[in-house]
Amino acid sequence: MIRPAHAPAPRIGGRVGRLFDFRHLRTRLAVLYAGLFAMTLIAVAIVAQVMIRSHAQGAVRAELTTSGTVYDRIWALRAKSLASSADVLARDFGFRTAVASGDRPTIASAVANLRTRAGVGNAFVVDIDGEVIGEGPADLRAAITALPSTFANGSNNAVIVTDAGTYRLIVAPILAPVQIGQVVFAVPLDETEMRALERLSAIPLNATMLHRRADGHWVASDRPGAGDAVLDRFVAGAIASNGATPATLDLPAGKSFALAIPLAGRGPKPEAALLLSYPLGKALASYRSLQIGIALAGLIGLVLVLLGSRRLASGIARPIAALDAAAKALEEGSRAELKVEGSDEISRLAESFNTMSAGILEREHRITHLAFHDSLTGLPNRTYFRQQLEAALLRAPKMAEKAAVLCLDLDGFKGVNDTLGHPIGDALLRQVGLMLDDLVQDGTVSRLGGDEFAIILSGRLDTDRTRSLSQQIIDTFRAPILVEGHQIATGVSIGIAIGPADGEDADLLLKSADLALYRAKQDGRGVFRFFEPALDAAARKRRQLELDLREALLTGQFRLNYQPIFDLKQDRIGCFESLLRWEHPVRGNVSPVEFIPVAEETGLIVAIGEWVMHEACRQASEWPDHVRVAVNVSPLQFRNSGFSNIIFQALTRSGLPANRLEIEITESVFLEGEGGVLQVLHQLRGMGVRIALDDFGTGYSSLSYLRSFPFDKIKIDKSFVDRVAQDESSAAIVLAILDLAKALKMETTAEGVEDRDQLNQLRGQGCSSIQGYWFSRPVEGAAVLGLIAGPMSAAA
Amino acid sequence: MLIRVLFSVLTLALAPVAAHAATANIDVRGADGRPLTGAVVMIDTPRKPAPPIRFDWGTAMAQRNIQFDPHVLIVPVGSTVTFPNFDKVRHHVYSFSKAKKFDLKLYGKDDTRSVVFDHTGAVALGCNIHDQMSAFILVVDTPFAVQTDATGHATIANLPAGGVTVRIWHPSIRAPDNMLAQPATVAATGFTNTYTIRGK
Repeated sequence: MIRPAHAPAPRIGGRVGRLFDFRHLRTRLAVLYAGLFAMTLIAVAIVAQVMIRSHAQGAVRAELTTSGTVYDRIWALRAKSLASSADVLARDFGFRTAVASGDRPTIASAVANLRTRAGVGNAFVVDIDGEVIGEGPADLRAAITALPSTFANGSNNAVIVTDAGTYRLIVAPILAPVQIGQVVFAVPLDETEMRALERLSAIPLNATMLHRRADGHWVASDRPGAGDAVLDRFVAGAIASNGATPATLDLPAGKSFALAIPLAGRGPKPEAALLLSYPLGKALASYRSLQIGIALAGLIGLVLVLLGSRRLASGIARPIAALDAAAKALEEGSRAELKVEGSDEISRLAESFNTMSAGILEREHRITHLAFHDSLTGLPNRTYFRQQLEAALLRAPKMAEKAAVLCLDLDGFKGVNDTLGHPIGDALLRQVGLMLDDLVQDGTVSRLGGDEFAIILSGRLDTDRTRSLSQQIIDTFRAPILVEGHQIATGVSIGIAIGPADGEDADLLLKSADLALYRAKQDGRGVFRFFEPALDAAARKRRQLELDLREALLTGQFRLNYQPIFDLKQDRIGCFESLLRWEHPVRGNVSPVEFIPVAEETGLIVAIGEWVMHEACRQASEWPDHVRVAVNVSPLQFRNSGFSNIIFQALTRSGLPANRLEIEITESVFLEGEGGVLQVLHQLRGMGVRIALDDFGTGYSSLSYLRSFPFDKIKIDKSFVDRVAQDESSAAIVLAILDLAKALKMETTAEGVEDRDQLNQLRGQGCSSIQGYWFSRPVEGAAVLGLIAGPMSAAA
Repeated sequence: MLIRVLFSVLTLALAPVAAHAATANIDVRGADGRPLTGAVVMIDTPRKPAPPIRFDWGTAMAQRNIQFDPHVLIVPVGSTVTFPNFDKVRHHVYSFSKAKKFDLKLYGKDDTRSVVFDHTGAVALGCNIHDQMSAFILVVDTPFAVQTDATGHATIANLPAGGVTVRIWHPSIRAPDNMLAQPATVAATGFTNTYTIRGK
């Protein structure tokens, strides 16, 4: 037996409905059993009824037949006895004497005596002349005047019908020794006789005399009426088959079993017949109790079967119904378990169901866990984080609480992945997750993806708490982490945003924290930064600029301007430095100072630089052979592995000789290490491309660069040139640079030359070339050729 | 039951009357057509023959082996018939017939009783002790009387030719005195006829 662990209380109203609800297994089973049993009962009842009827008929038939036979026998005996009585008289010598002598008084007295002695209704003597002596109805007397000594069937008795009634006659001849007369007994077959006959039978049958009327119809002697064809046929059949076949007949007493016994008459045709009948109702009455008994037993059985089958069906169906309910519950997602009792199939099914149900729940838990947790670290994932954050933000204003988001990013994680491989990177992330989880006891640590982690702190927190936690985290990660034998020096940057002030919903707050993180990274990593609204504005501006840059690259909003570099030795323009100009469709000219950093941050600088390279080479190829073009290259561009390829393609496509292309790089290209940079520089040099060191003297200038690569040119920064005519120290530095370049056999270009004094000073100190407003501002590409040919080229 | 008896004259050849005696050959058939044995054929002539009439079979009705012997005895009227008893038992012979009523009370062996029969007719004899004993004495006033033989044939000789009455008696004939009569004419050459008793 199994029951649902949480069975709902059955409703009383539903119970009656359920009984006739064929959707229920129980009802169907009960109805099936009850129906089968009822059918069996009906069959049994029918068989019983048929058997009872046939048995009753058989019994009555047998009884009727017996009664007929008994009647025959009794009459045979009686006739014999009467005949012998008559014989005694007929043979009496004195009587014979009286008859012979015609002594009527004597004969009459003898007959009367005989009648009394034999107990017979009527006795007569009929002499040879047909004279009848003896008392009796006139009709009877008339009927017996001429009787044979024996009747048609050879017997001495016959049944005759007269108007006075039906009589059985027994005759005995009076012989002297020839027949001189007959003694005749006439026994009336009247009501009394019939009743006496009825009393002989074991069953209360009815005896009736039938006689044939002059019109040929058979009628009952005690109930004269119209002829009845059925009765005629019945009696005719009985006569034809010589008696004893009972049949069913419609009689005034009702439907009856009947037996007609033809009674031999004077002639060959019977004149009368005895009808023995037994009403069907009476015959079946004795079986009534048996029928009632069968019906009662059937009813009781039916009720028992109904109850029993309902009980049995319940036994089968209840566990199934419980299973059904449990399955429905499971389907709706609630936990469903069945109590298992016993060990039948249904119990085993329930057990399996429980196992299945548990399995489903377990998997559901796992799926839920997977949906909300990061499989690598086991920490909550971004989805879960967002939900938590939203919940915290919803709660915050009502409880006067706050929700702080700390966005963490591992510094240099990409390098770890690249150098040590992803397995180590993953292990590092797991380790970091564990450490963070350890550090943060009052918040939720999640991994948002990659090396990004986030922490939610909620409740009545103050900025000190977030500050101290951030510092604690940064301090912790300052020390190298041991991962699978590798000491990995990493650090974290943290951006902090506190809702609802820094963002009303989870997305905004997270974005704010991201911006703060960006700021922290910009500010040199290993630090934490709180979100400020300005950050947001700057970020927005920057993002717009980025979008515009992409658009500009696609629609060709860039163009190159060129500023001539005047060769002091040859007294002509020897080179043009290409300068990128952006004509923004809305904002007009945008300064490279504004957009170059954005292009560098977003990596767009690579694509822009490629365009610049091609454009510069294309235009320069139209210039005179002695005029070179100089192109500035950002360190980001330079570190791109395809850089030398781009230059090669630009040269090939434009047909510009490599020695007419001059690449200007700054010292910052060396910040990330010298090896790779030098390799590229030598590659370019191998192609014939000239390399110039730009902005020399500013930043972290180091003379060691000059030793490690033989630059073709050193460009002296404008800050030194500005004051070269007035300030001796500036003049000394410029002179020193010029001397150094001369010694290293490098050309020099002084940038930002704006007046004649500066020019004279530089020319005097042996500077190779100058660049600046004194000579020319940057010009459009179309103006370059004019400038070369113009008077200005020889102005100096 | 009614019995009608019909006489059927099959052949009757009329012959010239002869002064000399003629012979009658008469066959009697029963109702079933078979020859009727023991029937008595009597012919009455218009002129009564002169007595005494004698028959050569005598006038004794013996009782032998508890039976009458003979079964039928024809005697002339006025005869004295003896009833000798040859049995060891006694008999009580009686008759209720109109022709002669008598009653011979018990008599024993070698006892003889005699009765005078002085009226013509058939007398049925019985024994009051032994029912099965039955006999008939035909008292006649004609010499022309004889019983049919086993073939139902009777021959009567010395008949005078002329009109006669033929009478036939037999116990089975259901008629007064069990007797039928029919006129006939005897030719000089004789008379031949077959009588069939018909009845139902």
